[in-house]
Amino acid sequence: MNSNGARIAALLAALVLLPFVAPPYALHVAIVVLFNATYAAALYAVLRMGYLSLGHAGFIALGAYTCVILSVRLGVSPWLGIPAGGLVAGLFAWGLGALTLRLRGIYFSLAIFAFGEIVTALFRAFDWFGGPAGIPGVPRPAFFGTPLASHFAFYWLVLAVAVLGIGVLYRLQYTRFGATLLTLRTADSERLAESVGIPAVRYKTAAFVVSCMVAGMTGAVHAQYLMFVNPQVFTFLTSTDLLIYAMVGGLASFWGPILGASLLTALGEQLFSVGYWKTLVYAAILMIVIMLLPGGLVDLPRRLRGLRKAAPDEIAAPP
Amino acid sequence: MSLLLLAQGIAIGLVNGALYILTALGLTLIYGILHIVNFAHGEIYMLGAMLVYVFFVVLQWPLALVFVAVVILATLAGLAVERGVFRNLRGQWMQLLVASVGISLIIQSLSWIAFGAQEKNVPSVLPGVLILAGVRLPIERLAAAGIALVLVAALYWVVYRTRTGLAMRAIEEDEETARMLGVNADRVAAIAVALGFVLAALGGAFVAPIYSLNPGMGLEAILMSFIIIIIGGLGSITGTVLAGLLIGMLESLGALVLGSEAAHVLVFVAMIAVLILRPQGLLGRA
Repeated sequence: MNSNGARIAALLAALVLLPFVAPPYALHVAIVVLFNATYAAALYAVLRMGYLSLGHAGFIALGAYTCVILSVRLGVSPWLGIPAGGLVAGLFAWGLGALTLRLRGIYFSLAIFAFGEIVTALFRAFDWFGGPAGIPGVPRPAFFGTPLASHFAFYWLVLAVAVLGIGVLYRLQYTRFGATLLTLRTADSERLAESVGIPAVRYKTAAFVVSCMVAGMTGAVHAQYLMFVNPQVFTFLTSTDLLIYAMVGGLASFWGPILGASLLTALGEQLFSVGYWKTLVYAAILMIVIMLLPGGLVDLPRRLRGLRKAAPDEIAAPP
Repeated sequence: MSLLLLAQGIAIGLVNGALYILTALGLTLIYGILHIVNFAHGEIYMLGAMLVYVFFVVLQWPLALVFVAVVILATLAGLAVERGVFRNLRGQWMQLLVASVGISLIIQSLSWIAFGAQEKNVPSVLPGVLILAGVRLPIERLAAAGIALVLVAALYWVVYRTRTGLAMRAIEEDEETARMLGVNADRVAAIAVALGFVLAALGGAFVAPIYSLNPGMGLEAILMSFIIIIIGGLGSITGTVLAGLLIGMLESLGALVLGSEAAHVLVFVAMIAVLILRPQGLLGRA
């Protein structure tokens, strides 16, 4: 644990000092990696309790649009837009989670998918939300009167939000609450947990809300980084990208999805402009991992060592 | 006048509902037998429509040959996916769902690359409008709705009146016991998936002359299908029929009163209402 802490501290120090050595383009990649790693960690909190969200982008979009509408339409400070984005996303997650987390996982997946699609359809449908063209001219927060205009300055805001989000999710996992969530992954152990007085639905809903709050808060900063938002930014393909990051990285460890997000984002940003080739390559990698390396990248060292022991499969749960 | 408008709304709603049923039927079949939500369903639907465009418009094949080719290709695709992917992941619902999402993404991105974003149109095979007591209905849509009902009947027949259907229901009930009693579960699963793929492709093929086609249409179709199977109850054919008609009506009548954008929200509200009041769906088992 101590060496783990030292490693995290060293990584943090390197990340804080990165802008002093990295050229602007590398900083851009680093910012996108931080966004995607935070989203992937948020998705992991849901995957870990045996539920698959096919619409996390809907909550990211809710956070982004909340922040943009507050700052552009209503003139509220961009600083306030960040927690507000998290709150609105969390509110919707609470309502939807309380309904669907009572049911078997597949209902949750389908309902959240439908939710994600409806959210973007609504933003597209109404002009007040910017319609198909979206809302341009999103202000960035200012630090003691200086707007965080450059990649150089904005990077630290993104890093701070990513560390906050990932930190909360990490802490959550290693509390009594986080340990209890693991018992709710299968119908049998869930019944057992309920029989000893654990309100399963409330626990799962709480975890889902935290996940979506982190996604929404990060989405708000994401919109500020892009300085615009439109219905094409956070779509179903965003949701599936997050899923691919998580599955490719591996679900056996908290760091798996973050690793997957970092590697694939860096690859995607280097090799392809926005387009269907990226989706194709990501999806092909996903299929290879699912069929041939079910534990993802974090499982690779164990496999290479040739240990044929049963995988510490934290996630696999029956329907 | 407003009574006529109402009648028109109901008629359009029923016809569109039948088209929704056509779209969701294969999804219901595969879930009903194997408990797999085949996310690639929408992409097979899209390919069905696109193949009609390629065979009928570009290559100018006769219509009968076009449909035979679509059915054969869909069968092969279904067998390949069942053998290559689904069979290896049996019993792992999350991996199955993710894998079918992966297949869907691969088909979708390849289609965007191959077909481009330009909308494709298939010329009307049955032009004309039926006017019945002032209610106007395009014959093309009416025919597709009729075909949807025929396919529902055919599916009932397969599932409830044939030995293969009996084996399917046996596997759904208790796979292990069915295997012990000599049911070839792998074969039955392959048939079910192939049948689901054929239904998806035919759904796309029959609506090809009605809608403008693009590689994104599969995603819209799967969204509507998911809402319908949540409302009807996962895996219930009768539930799918009921929910399809309900959603078709809700959408068309909602559009009359509130406008078409708000009607979309209404459909989502209906899904939420079902999740609150009857979470397993109208005709689903708990």
